[in-house]
Amino acid sequence: MPRLTDAEKSVLDGREGPLKRVALQFIVDYAEVMGAERLCDVTKAHLFAGAHHYIDACTSDDIDEVISEMLLCSTEKVSLDCFACYAQADVGPTDPVRWQQLGVSPERHDRNRVILEKYTKAGLYPAATCTPYLSGFLPRMGEHYVSTESHAVTLMNSLWGACANADGIEAAFCSAVCGKTPLWGNHIMSNRGGTHHFRVEFTPQNVMEWDLLGYVIGSRTPTHSTPVLSGDLGTPGMVELKSCFASMATTGGAELCHIIGVTPEAPDFDRAFRGRKAVAEEVITPRDLGEAAVLFAGDGEVVDYVSLGCPHYSIDQVRDAASLLEGRKVHGDSRLLVWTSPAVRELSDRAGYSRTIELSGARLVTSSCPLVSETWPRDASTLVFDSLKQAHYIRPETKATVLFGSMAQCIDAAVAGRWERRSTR
Amino acid sequence: MRKIVIKGRGVWGGVAEGPAMVSRDTIQGWSGLDDETGVVIEKGHPFEGMSIKGAVLVLSGGKGSNGWSSHFHTARLKGLAPAAFVFPKMDSRTGVAVVVTKVPAVTDLEEDPFETIRTGDWVRVDGDRGILEVTREG
Repeated sequence: MPRLTDAEKSVLDGREGPLKRVALQFIVDYAEVMGAERLCDVTKAHLFAGAHHYIDACTSDDIDEVISEMLLCSTEKVSLDCFACYAQADVGPTDPVRWQQLGVSPERHDRNRVILEKYTKAGLYPAATCTPYLSGFLPRMGEHYVSTESHAVTLMNSLWGACANADGIEAAFCSAVCGKTPLWGNHIMSNRGGTHHFRVEFTPQNVMEWDLLGYVIGSRTPTHSTPVLSGDLGTPGMVELKSCFASMATTGGAELCHIIGVTPEAPDFDRAFRGRKAVAEEVITPRDLGEAAVLFAGDGEVVDYVSLGCPHYSIDQVRDAASLLEGRKVHGDSRLLVWTSPAVRELSDRAGYSRTIELSGARLVTSSCPLVSETWPRDASTLVFDSLKQAHYIRPETKATVLFGSMAQCIDAAVAGRWERRSTR
Repeated sequence: MRKIVIKGRGVWGGVAEGPAMVSRDTIQGWSGLDDETGVVIEKGHPFEGMSIKGAVLVLSGGKGSNGWSSHFHTARLKGLAPAAFVFPKMDSRTGVAVVVTKVPAVTDLEEDPFETIRTGDWVRVDGDRGILEVTREG
């Protein structure tokens, strides 16, 4: 049992109402399972807020009962009417504005609207993106936060030394409601040393290669380990790194990844490993990337569906997509979707990119993705993504061929209605 | 029949038993477990096509989506939950999964379970005392 402060004991006794009591009880149970000695204060929460398909496992018509069971893991019905910290929405099951373009049912849209209104009234910011760090969610080094998006945890832990564990959806909601999480794992700075060394023997040249690199590292990183990347990795920006961390957190469980000379806890080898020796060392070559790419490589397929923007596109990626689409038309038998956050969509509207994209027949949609909305076409023969995260997760769920390529390659495929084979390097 | 006893730390109380499903590579939650059937759908995984219902899951940890726990939560609500969990070491995804699944769980084992337990062995998990009893035919 973790040691609790008087204030925490008072919440558990119900003096701040049933909502906080239920949430803190979950966090205390979680802390006990982990063997944590005490709790710490959470200041920011990024939450899977909305009528996602998985909450249908609770069949009640009563929204409060559904939220209590699915998000707070409580059979006691409570009303989620306030958060204890800054809370921002992760992606939802649809675009609340363009839901019809996605083929989402009016029932799902309505249920999502009702749930989001409830959370928004409770204080949640409806930022609706898997890239919270591009929409104002910026925990500083050492700050304790929670997030339901796997790559957001890896990215914010790694890139600026903020502190979170992957946890799970229920723990994230409970933390947001009671403002606490177990002081365990990545919340303790001395635990954050690297364990596995990956010597990268090439400089990734583009976003696609960073995505592939993350995919390979994730699949070779055993559970409970923290990878450290070294080598001449160039000067990756946010766009490259978000793709790399998204695929790394797909094939593996890494919640933190040090990149020597790039991330702040890894100015050099010794500090990246906190003075300890690496448990294992591996060399990553262009050949490893090629072997990953071949899993999602095609040649001449007729393309029905192309999706760009996982993680959600930044404004510069939306601009690049618009410039690649200018004056072109998406093939009549293909669909092209570009996913971003509501904030970036607003910028894109003002800059004129949205108009260029939509004149081509593509759709610029927000607040969700093919996976979370479950809207990829079930009758398609070929699905194309510029993201290994989408490609990897969707492949077991479909009979269609699933392909991965760069933004330009995907756009060319949508315009031609056909996939052109091209080498990755 | 051989019986092996392994000691560890009980993290969720109760006693349950069932056939072991043992994976050092663990399983994906999202797009790894079919929520309607409890069947593992992860491509190329040794468990592909097997159901977790009533099994003692011996896994190295969590991986993939932060929604790992919610797939076990759903499994419990649909009557497809595993009988018990065995983790050599806890991580945050498995910790939350234990709390939402509410089945006996043991961790911090004195022996490497991947060396001693095989898929198909019968395992009794005592989450109150932190003890595993592994029975193997033959």
